[in-house]
Amino acid sequence: MALKIVVCVKPIPDPAYYKDITIDPVTKTIQREAIPTIINPADKHAIEEALKIKEKFGGKIITLSMAPPNVIKNIHEALAMGADEAYLLTDKKFAGSDTWATSYILAKAIEKIGGIDLVITGTETGDGGTSQVPSQLGEWLKIPHLWNVIEFKIKNEKEVYLKTKIENGFMEWKCKLPMAIAVSREINTPRYTTIMGVMKAKKKPFQKLTFDDLNLDEKRIGLVNSPTQAGNLHLLDLSRKGKIIKGSKEELAQFIIDNLKAGGISVEADPIICSCEGETGNE
Amino acid sequence: MNKDIWVFIEQVQSNISGASLELLGEAVRLKSKMKNPGKIVAVIIGSQLSELIQVVSMFGAEKIYVADHRKLRLYQPDYYAAILTHLIHQEDPHILLIGATYIGSQLGPMVAIRVDTGIAAHCVELKIDDNDNLVAVVPAFGGKLLGDILCPNYRPQMASVKPGILEKPERIEVQSQIVPVDINFLSLVEPKLKPVGICCHEPKGVPLEQAEVVICGGWGVGDAEHWQMLEKIAAKLGGAVGCTRPALDEGWSQGEHTMVGTSGKSIRPNVYLGFGISGSTHHVCGMKDSKLIISVNKDEEAEIFNFSDFGLVGDIKEILPLLMQSLGIS
Amino acid sequence: MEFFKFSEEQEMLRQAVREFVDHEVAPNAAQWDEKDICPVELFPMMGELGINGIFVPEEYGGTGLGYIERAICLEEISRHSGGLGIAMMTHHLGMSAILSAGTEEQKRKYLPDACSGKKIVGLSVTEPGGGSDFIGLKSKGELKDGQWIVNGRKCFITNSSIADIDIWAIRTGTDTKGRPSLSTVILEKGMPGHLPGRKENKLGLRGSVTGDINCVDVKVPPGQLLGKEGAGAKIAMQAISEVGRAGMAAICVGILRGCLEESIKFSKERILYGKPISKLQAIQFIIAENKVDYEAARLLTYQAASLKDAGLPCADEFAIAKLYATENAVNAAKRTIDLMGGYGVINEYPVGRYLRDALASIPSGGTSHIQKLIIAAGELK
Repeated sequence: MALKIVVCVKPIPDPAYYKDITIDPVTKTIQREAIPTIINPADKHAIEEALKIKEKFGGKIITLSMAPPNVIKNIHEALAMGADEAYLLTDKKFAGSDTWATSYILAKAIEKIGGIDLVITGTETGDGGTSQVPSQLGEWLKIPHLWNVIEFKIKNEKEVYLKTKIENGFMEWKCKLPMAIAVSREINTPRYTTIMGVMKAKKKPFQKLTFDDLNLDEKRIGLVNSPTQAGNLHLLDLSRKGKIIKGSKEELAQFIIDNLKAGGISVEADPIICSCEGETGNE
Repeated sequence: MNKDIWVFIEQVQSNISGASLELLGEAVRLKSKMKNPGKIVAVIIGSQLSELIQVVSMFGAEKIYVADHRKLRLYQPDYYAAILTHLIHQEDPHILLIGATYIGSQLGPMVAIRVDTGIAAHCVELKIDDNDNLVAVVPAFGGKLLGDILCPNYRPQMASVKPGILEKPERIEVQSQIVPVDINFLSLVEPKLKPVGICCHEPKGVPLEQAEVVICGGWGVGDAEHWQMLEKIAAKLGGAVGCTRPALDEGWSQGEHTMVGTSGKSIRPNVYLGFGISGSTHHVCGMKDSKLIISVNKDEEAEIFNFSDFGLVGDIKEILPLLMQSLGIS
Repeated sequence: MEFFKFSEEQEMLRQAVREFVDHEVAPNAAQWDEKDICPVELFPMMGELGINGIFVPEEYGGTGLGYIERAICLEEISRHSGGLGIAMMTHHLGMSAILSAGTEEQKRKYLPDACSGKKIVGLSVTEPGGGSDFIGLKSKGELKDGQWIVNGRKCFITNSSIADIDIWAIRTGTDTKGRPSLSTVILEKGMPGHLPGRKENKLGLRGSVTGDINCVDVKVPPGQLLGKEGAGAKIAMQAISEVGRAGMAAICVGILRGCLEESIKFSKERILYGKPISKLQAIQFIIAENKVDYEAARLLTYQAASLKDAGLPCADEFAIAKLYATENAVNAAKRTIDLMGGYGVINEYPVGRYLRDALASIPSGGTSHIQKLIIAAGELK
């Protein structure tokens, strides 16, 4: 049951160089060409999941990236990890696309590659971090999609079982391929890249696709045509303020809770009652 | 074209998500900033929703669309998205706000594609501009940067916000118009994706370097009993516990592998919460790149406060039990 | 034209090894040093990564690359654990002897398991009577009833008790000029009479096992002879001078990089007189000296490795690289300890280990005095 799998791999600016990022005052976009890029860490888990599926069922792993042309090193890294083929979508016309436009472009490329059984992405990126592209990609491709997947099992030809992590618990799902999944970092531990993998990387097929190669509506892509538009940008002062907070013990405890929430940590106390639906549960 | 502000009310097993109510409160605030405001409209989807409708109307929803059916008891993306899309096409709202929860983080972008609009995700602030349009403020590059996002040419202007970011909503008694939604059209939707169960977590240990929240304890925690409280709080929050050398030597912590510092581990969680830590270079070097640093120490002059965003001057032995209480830990 | 630049594959290779080292070696190096244990469980993992058989042709299960790539691997490992570095170095040493002098049958028998990490290899030359004076070695092999009987005692042997495959240099006769004639023979762990002896308690390179091995009437089939009878001196010398010294040089390049990186990190973090000590000139001098030593050792080592990969003579170049890298690793470590003040002598920090590992590197593969004799001989001929 060989499977053709596309893994979306996003090169992102290396966080170690965030301090060197500047803003173009006219286009209000991030100037990051000079910053070295790394593979989005969550995407390595996506590649690992694809490798595990290929080991079990056979097939082909194709990486797909939409980025400026200077990310070749990252493409080679993904091939060294074990992917079979790579595509890079690169064109000045793509620049500045929001998630709507980005997912549209990626979807058109996946359609062009054709015959895809599974699309795997990481659950979020280190730079934008919106987690929106996987869901929107699924919509464009008109296939079922889930994100924050912590378990993925292919039962047979077309039946798959998934677990997704939700607040305070998890949900279980059944689905049929083809589908798109965004995997959580909890799902696996990426294997080490081997030296043999490194030596094979540059010999693997690698293709660049531009606007002319894809069947795209030019009026729906790029900075100007994205539905969401960037307004003002504010660089934050990162020095620690060391603001002293005094108060009653209740006030201090509440301050901690409020800031945990503001920091994105879930403190919701609503417990979940376990329930299994079975096949017919959703009538 | 109306200027209605819509809020998706998420519920899981009849518990309304805190984010949804916060967004309702925010909708009330945003409406007050508009020159020509419309209505505040809530959309709630699920099964056996009569009690929840009561709650929603207590927080300012002037109109509530209710899609109540057994089929909708467990979240299924295609059903929920189809209902929202149907309502949006019918009513053409100006703004749609959705919580950036598990459900919302999928539903929002899905609906945005189906109705052909833009969505700003994980906003930290929402504003209204001079044209009554939504301005969403989002962080990027790990929060080093904040950007305004606008959606001037497409409707509805969508935004998602994580729970806990916005203020808690205030009660506003309004006369809510309840509108049941006829979902017969769902029989045409045959999803390949079926939810088959929902369950709670077994709290699993998270490795120190990967935890989103790390609670570090130092010598100032005082004793093993209070150290246990740190462990329980961290477990409840889905985070990890770190220690300093003195706490390790006292025998409170789980071992050398939890020591944070130059000769231990380096961490950069979203939230670092330090208790009873003096702030020697040893330790600071291991945690200084954490996104948000809150330190608690009874000494106002503690060195650690120079490396923290917030320094709370207080008695750890009193604060820890209160935290446990707030988090529902026994 | 750039005189010396790594290729993209070599950079990617370095990155892959570094990621492995950061996860599996760096967190444990201090413990291996303190407890004096060699992490043999990592050999199969390093085999899977392709480190063990880096210069062995693919047909024997190797990675099919060369000595530059080998030096990259040893540098990366030794940046954190010189002990594991020398254990791997010695494994390579034995494999290289089999590769260069072995029959097709011997290569097929031993190399695949060594490449996969299933088996570990050692090379036993040094004896209580001398390492520098190795022609005078006393271990002997006598041919009796078609079998070699090996007797002798080796000391200061790396991988002594963990080696599954142990290549011995033995005296098997006298040549036409009356000088000792040496041969090399492949012994295996478990052969009756082949017994690892005492384990040394070393001051450095403690992530590796070093000790005695004894042979008491070990009966060895003639097929185990490595190379021709009498070719032992040449085989052992070539291995030591082109693979052993090369390995020690690369290990010390790793240690030098460790000293450089630790000195930079510490000087940026340590605040004295209200600012980081990196603002002080004395500290800047130390960092500059560390940098120069690292760059010089690096260039000497990789340049010598490139000669070996090109099939050109490289023994003298490796002697120069080894002499420079080991001696200056000691200097750099001492300087870095000075830079760190009191912290430099606290064992929670790795720099004390770097000093001890560098010191222990000097007598491995020939002392610095021996290297100087070799280098001078090369100039005076």
